[in-house]
Amino acid sequence: MAVVEDKTVIYEGSRIPSRVPTILDVPEELSGSEDVMQVNFGPNHPSTHGVLRLIVDLHGEQVVGTSAVIGYLHTGFEKTMESKTYWKCVTYPERIDYVGYQNNELVFVSAVEQLLELEVPTKAKWMRMLLCELNRIHSHLVYLGTSALELGAISMFWYCFREREQILDLFEMVTGQRMHTRYFQVGGLAEDIPVGFYPEARKFVEWMPHALDDYRGLLDRNQIWLERTVGIGKLSAADAIALGQTGPNLRASGVDWDLRRDQPYLHYDQVDFQVPVYPNGDVYDRYRVRMDEMGESNQIVRQCLDKLERMDGMPWIADDRKVVLPPREELHTSMESLIHHFKIVTEGFRVPAGEIYVAIESPRGESGCYLVSDGGPKPWRVHFRAPSFVALEATATCLTDTYVADLIAVVGSLDAVMGDTDR
Amino acid sequence: MPGYVTERDGADMATVTIERERIREACEHARDELGFDMCVDVVATDYLDWAGVGVSGYIGTATGRDIVHPATQGLQVLPEAKPKRFSISYHLLGLRQGAPRVRLQCWADDGEHVPSVITVWPTCDWHEREQFDLMGIVFDGHPNLERLLMPEDWEGHPLRKDYPIGGEPVRFSDAE
Amino acid sequence: MVDEPTEPTEPITRLRDYGLQSERLLWPTKGPSRFEESLGVEELEQALGITTLEKAVRWAQTKSMWPDTFGLACCAIEMMSIVGSRYDLARFGMEAFRSSPRQADLLIVSGRVAHKMAEPLRQIYDQMLEPKWVIAMGVCASSGGMFNNYTILQGVDRIVPVDIYIPFCPPRPEALMEGIIRLHEAHLAGIPPAYERNGVAT
Repeated sequence: MAVVEDKTVIYEGSRIPSRVPTILDVPEELSGSEDVMQVNFGPNHPSTHGVLRLIVDLHGEQVVGTSAVIGYLHTGFEKTMESKTYWKCVTYPERIDYVGYQNNELVFVSAVEQLLELEVPTKAKWMRMLLCELNRIHSHLVYLGTSALELGAISMFWYCFREREQILDLFEMVTGQRMHTRYFQVGGLAEDIPVGFYPEARKFVEWMPHALDDYRGLLDRNQIWLERTVGIGKLSAADAIALGQTGPNLRASGVDWDLRRDQPYLHYDQVDFQVPVYPNGDVYDRYRVRMDEMGESNQIVRQCLDKLERMDGMPWIADDRKVVLPPREELHTSMESLIHHFKIVTEGFRVPAGEIYVAIESPRGESGCYLVSDGGPKPWRVHFRAPSFVALEATATCLTDTYVADLIAVVGSLDAVMGDTDR
Repeated sequence: MPGYVTERDGADMATVTIERERIREACEHARDELGFDMCVDVVATDYLDWAGVGVSGYIGTATGRDIVHPATQGLQVLPEAKPKRFSISYHLLGLRQGAPRVRLQCWADDGEHVPSVITVWPTCDWHEREQFDLMGIVFDGHPNLERLLMPEDWEGHPLRKDYPIGGEPVRFSDAE
Repeated sequence: MVDEPTEPTEPITRLRDYGLQSERLLWPTKGPSRFEESLGVEELEQALGITTLEKAVRWAQTKSMWPDTFGLACCAIEMMSIVGSRYDLARFGMEAFRSSPRQADLLIVSGRVAHKMAEPLRQIYDQMLEPKWVIAMGVCASSGGMFNNYTILQGVDRIVPVDIYIPFCPPRPEALMEGIIRLHEAHLAGIPPAYERNGVAT
């Protein structure tokens, strides 16, 4: 809004640092002082977030300056995907956000499908919803396990990973792989849903609320947990919007915004679920948002199962053979199928020229794919809007007036996955 | 809308092209007058050799998948030419009913600077740094325009089309 | 005239005889493997013959080989899951992931290594005290994986000597477990760690 004496003042009352929004500067009265020590939370550090480097200035135990250095996991996804055909590209987006992998797959595949104007069958959409919600539970479990581990509630790690193993069993049953499943294809799903999946998924859905009660019993009213998380790392609603936060970080700051409800994709407008919103914007509220979201995701999975159990025998991928690989048994009998298979695998299907931006609600926030196609078989430009990248921009704001012990809590609560940040 | 040049409707959102020098005013207008509270993403695209790429007739759309697309008579179709080499797209989102989105787009050639919109939305700090790092677009007025993802002493801007993919040659693999 | 069958020569001692059960599983009677050749087939006795005291020390080292927290990317999530209760790493005495490389014996490089991260990786490796082992977990650490581009190191053995390579993307926890068990077997058999056998790959 205003540039005043080379400080950018965003608005009155903002806690965003005024010179550079993502760097907390040491205040002038301390800046020459010998009491300020610069500590490097290097890329390899005990907390389990991956390779984030924080250069922190400490005045005793108080954090007076911080800046984040990222890029230690920059993989060049966008450049690599420009040299692969669309069918081969599907394996790359999942590895970007490697904890909520199917959401990344979904966003890329949706972008290609929208440029192709391809209709995805209903069964595929419901199954995609189910798997994405299971992945949301998986992601929040990893968040909870690792966050609690860092704050000292070490046993939470084992509880959360017990449930996580059950989810990964379900993924393995459907797709053959625990992580990075490559199950979402352009047009639908790679294969049909196997027999025996629905009873197993029901068992998990019935068990999950008990597990959530276990976690709540351990942490919600735990005095140590409360003292370490309530009032720490506050982010006001206006600051969160100015910093582009989305997802649980935004909802914990009091802004009621969820893309599943406000800009529905797949069949989210046909399921009932609540969107948890809490007003304070501290670490505790972010924890509560994610806990409630796990329960809501469980409800959504239950509703998806109700719908899917009546959809046996329906197609799971679009019929368009120019884009979708034909089923393997047809390759033995039909010449056209063989030709199509060959063309799609070697040259790739062509996507009409255009640009598109598709956004979904991933466990970390709004995950988006900006795709520019030149009409050829390979993408011209792919860009992923990474919610963790934006979440880490808020570290400087959240870390004003905190102690070094709270730094761990805050960075954990922002739930940033470094693959997503660095792409 | 200050600096307005043209607009185009798309399947996902409208794309409004803005003059490069007035992009900051346009963003302020979008935030204050039109209610686009959040800037979701800042993306730069390199269109080097764009019009040189031909697509021969086999176009996939929902309506017609003929070998011969009506407009081509089987000949090569060149995608429409772009005004300059780089396009910088700002994806904006309004946090209200209906989730209105818009894409503000400005065009720049190599070496032309773009005003930074960091005073409008602080989130653009890292987005602009990333596009500077990977595409080499300089944003005027950015207080800390340094490399973000690549090591600080890296030379070149990797995502440009004339920068090689790198890596090492692998036996039996094709072009890359 | 048919030649008399020659006397069977002295059977060469093979790695299996030293306890490395996972060597030459599929074709035991085939000649020496490349690994055995790199150790020197004829001098296996000298290379691997270890005294009872050394055996005891190696047994102790094997039973509490503490890994360093070097989770980089997706493989780190699978590495965390072997600490979980289903694939319990604590039965090998290895659940204590040390954050300080000075206290760690094993560096499990789990995930893709960007060029920016290569320098910290080498620093961490240098800070570890001998004896130390390196497991390259996943294809990205073994060879660059699916990322053959300007920013990913094509195999972590370019900068640190690697003992065990574990393929898959990401490896199942059982696969990582097998890699760790093979490392234990190799150490118990007397095979020296990688930095003594070979340097860094070129």
